[in-house]
Amino acid sequence: MEYSGAVAFIRKSDPLMETHLADFIRDTSTGKEAEAILRTCVHCGFCTATCPTYQLLGDELDGPRGRIYLIKQVLEGETPTQKTQLHLDRCLTCRSCETTCPSGVKYARLLDIGREIVDAKVPRVGVDAALRAGMRNVLPRAGVFGTAMKLGQMVRPLLPRAIKAKVPPLTSAGPLPDTATHSRKMIALAGCVQPSMYPNINGAAARVLDRLGISMLHAGSAGCCGAVRFHLGDPEAARDDARRNIDAWWPLLEAGAEALVMTASACGVQVRDYGHLLQDDPDYQHKAARVARLTRDISEILTAESARLQAILTDLPPPDAASKQMAFHSPCTLQHGLQLRGVAEKLLTAAGFALTPIADSHLCCGSAGTYSVLQAEISQRLRDNKLAALLGPVTSSRRPRTIASANVGCISHLAGGTEVEVRHWVELIDRRLTGQV
Amino acid sequence: MMSIQTPAEGADTFPLPSRESDRGRGGENQTNSPVGADDTLLCVTTDIDTALAHSAEQDQNFASIHHATLFSRLKKILPQGALLQVKEDLAPYECDGLSAYRRIPLAVALPEDEAQVVAVMKACYEAGVPVVARGAGTGLSGGAMPHEQGLVLSLAKLKRIVRIDKYSRTAVVQPGVRNLAISEAAAPFGLYYAPDPSSQIACSIGGNVAENSGGVHCLKYGLTVHNVLRVRVVLADGDVVTLGSEALDSAGLDLLALFIGSEGLLGIATEVTVKLTPKPQFAQCILASFDDVRRAGDAVAAVIAAGIIPAGLEMMDQPATRAVEPFVKAGYDINAAAILLCESDGTKEEVGDEIARMKAVLEGCGATEIRVSQSEAERILFWAGRKAAFPAAGRVSPDYYCMDGTIPKRRLADMLIAITELEKKYGLRCMNVFHAGDGNLHPLILYDANVPGELERTEAFGAEILKLSVDFGGTITGEHGVGFEKINAMCEQFASDELRIFHGIKAAWDARGLLNPGKAVPSLHRCAEFGRMHVHGGQTAFPEIERL
Amino acid sequence: MSSTTIDEFRQQILQRQPLRIRGGGSKDFYGSVPSSMQESNLLDTRMHSGIVSYDPSELVVTVKAGTTLQALELVLATRRQFLPFEPPRFGDDLSAATIGGAVAAGLSGPRRATVGALRDFVLGLRLMDGVGRELKFGGEVMKNVAGYDVSRLMAGSMGCLGLILDVSLKVLPMPMHEATIGLALDQQPALELMNQWGGEPLPISATCWADGLLMIRLSGAEPAVRTAQQRLGGDLVEADQAAQFWASLRDGQHAFFAQTSPHATLWRLSVPSVTPPLEVGGSSLIEWGGAQRWFHSEASAEEVQTLAHRCGATATAFRYAPDRTQVFSPFAPGVLKLHQSLKHAFDPHGIFGRGRLYPEI
Repeated sequence: MEYSGAVAFIRKSDPLMETHLADFIRDTSTGKEAEAILRTCVHCGFCTATCPTYQLLGDELDGPRGRIYLIKQVLEGETPTQKTQLHLDRCLTCRSCETTCPSGVKYARLLDIGREIVDAKVPRVGVDAALRAGMRNVLPRAGVFGTAMKLGQMVRPLLPRAIKAKVPPLTSAGPLPDTATHSRKMIALAGCVQPSMYPNINGAAARVLDRLGISMLHAGSAGCCGAVRFHLGDPEAARDDARRNIDAWWPLLEAGAEALVMTASACGVQVRDYGHLLQDDPDYQHKAARVARLTRDISEILTAESARLQAILTDLPPPDAASKQMAFHSPCTLQHGLQLRGVAEKLLTAAGFALTPIADSHLCCGSAGTYSVLQAEISQRLRDNKLAALLGPVTSSRRPRTIASANVGCISHLAGGTEVEVRHWVELIDRRLTGQV
Repeated sequence: MMSIQTPAEGADTFPLPSRESDRGRGGENQTNSPVGADDTLLCVTTDIDTALAHSAEQDQNFASIHHATLFSRLKKILPQGALLQVKEDLAPYECDGLSAYRRIPLAVALPEDEAQVVAVMKACYEAGVPVVARGAGTGLSGGAMPHEQGLVLSLAKLKRIVRIDKYSRTAVVQPGVRNLAISEAAAPFGLYYAPDPSSQIACSIGGNVAENSGGVHCLKYGLTVHNVLRVRVVLADGDVVTLGSEALDSAGLDLLALFIGSEGLLGIATEVTVKLTPKPQFAQCILASFDDVRRAGDAVAAVIAAGIIPAGLEMMDQPATRAVEPFVKAGYDINAAAILLCESDGTKEEVGDEIARMKAVLEGCGATEIRVSQSEAERILFWAGRKAAFPAAGRVSPDYYCMDGTIPKRRLADMLIAITELEKKYGLRCMNVFHAGDGNLHPLILYDANVPGELERTEAFGAEILKLSVDFGGTITGEHGVGFEKINAMCEQFASDELRIFHGIKAAWDARGLLNPGKAVPSLHRCAEFGRMHVHGGQTAFPEIERL
Repeated sequence: MSSTTIDEFRQQILQRQPLRIRGGGSKDFYGSVPSSMQESNLLDTRMHSGIVSYDPSELVVTVKAGTTLQALELVLATRRQFLPFEPPRFGDDLSAATIGGAVAAGLSGPRRATVGALRDFVLGLRLMDGVGRELKFGGEVMKNVAGYDVSRLMAGSMGCLGLILDVSLKVLPMPMHEATIGLALDQQPALELMNQWGGEPLPISATCWADGLLMIRLSGAEPAVRTAQQRLGGDLVEADQAAQFWASLRDGQHAFFAQTSPHATLWRLSVPSVTPPLEVGGSSLIEWGGAQRWFHSEASAEEVQTLAHRCGATATAFRYAPDRTQVFSPFAPGVLKLHQSLKHAFDPHGIFGRGRLYPEI
């Protein structure tokens, strides 16, 4: 074997993902999970190509591969500083990288683990700490947030532009169908932010489902899906949210409700993860798994009912040329989180709308839940880029009349940067079915 | 209507007042030269000769340099947050796409424009600090692995597409622009950038220039060197030169060809003009199965011998198809010993004609099954399996090691059979994906780094494949570059005289040896050490080098 | 015996006297002629000829430098293959030019804009440097990135770096079918069409505009050529006549290239293809989809070089220049320095082809 002598001559170190986790985590279930994820990464760097922050900032530390490295260092016992925390904070958790990754690295899961450990080791200080605590406590409580939002809406004309952008004009849910009409029933997520900001979204979903022979129910004591607290580093509170919701939904499911309807894709991702979130809870693990299994994005439900939907649409006159021009922004939680690409788009096209092709449609709009508040500068740059891609030049004759999306966060974020109307796509289907377009 | 523009004034090919070559003439007469004393023809530079003597014989040591002044200078040059110095920030830069070789750099600089690159280069040149350029960090030979005493110069922030010109079919881009982003930007004009390395979604054009990257379509459309017209280069001392031009040729020696593929050893590309190619109207792909690897190898030669230049001609062996098929579901025949993917592109008429001829040749060579893609979706699916081969290896095995030799096509089957024997010898599995049309091999050796000894066996296995590639009349690297990974194998492919010329070329561009030291071209000393264990035809390699 | 020939070459080199490397002498008219050139000894490569290896299914031929282009192309033709870059043969006797000379001059023919230049087809070579060392670079495979690309550097080096011994070239199958069409057009619309069609997936393999006539050659599968022919229009040129026309362009024998006056130089400008018609006070011949422009001019070299520079082009005083001391476009100082240092690396004693490319190297 001629080369055996040569091998020792090469200065060589261990392969990257041969991990040496530190004592504090090595034998925990989290440690094992993290190690398994790290071992799947082959360091090819494909993820950087579709990462919004890497594309914006061009620093390895602001892309998925670099963050995996930062997390690995922490898991191996290095003491993180605010630098590591900053780069992890800058991640939008859009999971575009997961769609791109050829090796199937579960990046978002690793990031959750990394953030939890780093936040435990690097205390939040100053404005950052106050903002986070405020959002953790206010946003998930429908009642509290609702009051704050109503106040904001009443004084909207008086607000400075930056804050005004976050407070949409007051709308109503519109006429709601009787929930007792149909034998087929599905449960809506009451949510936290969405009913106050955009009550018409669930209203529209209820009307569209009603036309398809399905009644949409609300479970009184259900609330926030838990995503806000989970992503602000309070997983235990998020588990409480999940347990409370499961308790609220359970009797309805037992009574024959066939699915949980999600009209915000971010909530859909969170609820679909309940099984994983409560896997170590013996009282809830089975119920959580069933809830996760029955969770559907509204686009999945309409696709399953598309024959019936099409039958109704065929009898309607086509939309007029101007109002059918539309741009669809697919939320990261929809296309990367739920892996539903082209589904809502297909429903809109079938309903007679004309969708503009969008450059870099895989990129995040910068909303990313609380990100738009915590990383305002990056968030705003991403929003400007996204709006430019969605709307094209002002002079274009094919400039879309409406932007449609599928998640409340994106809708309010985008609406804050343009005069063009931004809606949930199901509202547009509702408009079609009710003859408004 | 076509708009014709006159290029901007002041391009630097114009005669400028001649300048005293700062370390050129030196007044040193060559005692043996016929050149007279008054003759300034030859730029005989003592500096270069000294550098050559040093770098050719021995790897350099930069350990004794004092860095404080350099750092304070770099901080003034670079924007806030664009100079990384602490280990927490540096570790993620310790390797590129080949993570087996890693080093923590002295610092990482993230300049935003060419002026900052120039200033950084000047500062490092004056401090005598090595510089390793880095693009997207997707390279597979450790070419962008840092130097412990050196600066990593990331070009990732230089990512502007400066101009796309439909009529001249060119794009001017900064080095950090992704390969695929050029094609996306050119798509509205019916044009694209032809070289398509597998990492094209992420790899940057600067890195492509450094490595002379290829791809699956280069038999017909060429490598990077065939598709780049002009490069602006910052030299080691901070001087900026333009190589090539927007015309098809330029005056003097072909420095552009020399620069492309020089692995960051000669200069830093800060702007690249690429040629764009009209998008073929139509493409179709044949998927052919063979029950014997030799028949598949012979079929490759037969297609070419029939006067056909396919747009792509790829071969995968059974272990490769079996790894890929379960998760891509490309429809590969997993009972075949090997499959070929043969693509034709062009006008509809051309493709129809070529597909028919290829089909006839493949049938004549004993293909057991032939399928022709019936739609664009099916054609993409056929390729999806091939393009997913590397990651598929990552899914069936914890680690894999990708080789990159090139051999004459007639030896493809011999190589596959030899690799099967090596699998037994080393007790490791290997799956093979070949750019068969140009003889470029990518054997993927599967191993588990957590099993003691497997990595070492893998490297020995790989080294034997490289040696076989050279013995078969080929080369140790077709498109991934030598980098750090194959530096010893270079001693196999080149004798000391050729290496001396390489060091001479290096010294001509970078007399102080600051750009990417220790990569691509081994020192004679390294080869002597390497050759100690390795005797060629009864003779010791590099007998003139004293051994330690 | 070839090894004896190579030993003789080495003996000549080791004498350390200036050497002018020459094959068939078909390009004696080309390049600079410094006063010192007369003192140079001649190194004749023609003794070193023959095909080393040729395997059509590899698309590679390895050939000794002194082999004539005619002999090489004949062998390739028996297997329906050819040198796609169509190296010019020049001279009255087309059988004189050698492959070594073709590589050293680096010139390409009509197909250059669509298939690539000579340098694009050089895969590897063996050379002898200025101290008599035999060196091998590149190889016989299409893809090879081990070490610097010295082989391509030698293409167009005008014999100033080393003596090319053998060269490995990529060859291609001859096109299945060819057709040439002619369209009567003025220069400006002809340039516009060449550039527009260059951006479309058409099987164009050569273009030439001169004297109000745009000639287009189409190469490829017969149905594709036929479709393109219908799409582009124009008149079909009879096959023999077309072949003669393209050969005359390739070999510099087209009537346009003949000397017009004792004071006029034939200039070759390599320009971006979209450059508007050049104002050169006379007629032009345009090739390569607009990227190569020929004209005769009595203007001074400085004037023409200034014009070229304004267009982002390089100009070569290709033939008939009254003064042949500097026929190529000048460099920026940084580029000149690189030329000088590279020359030193290959030819430390300054033996080879001194001044043929530039006075400084």
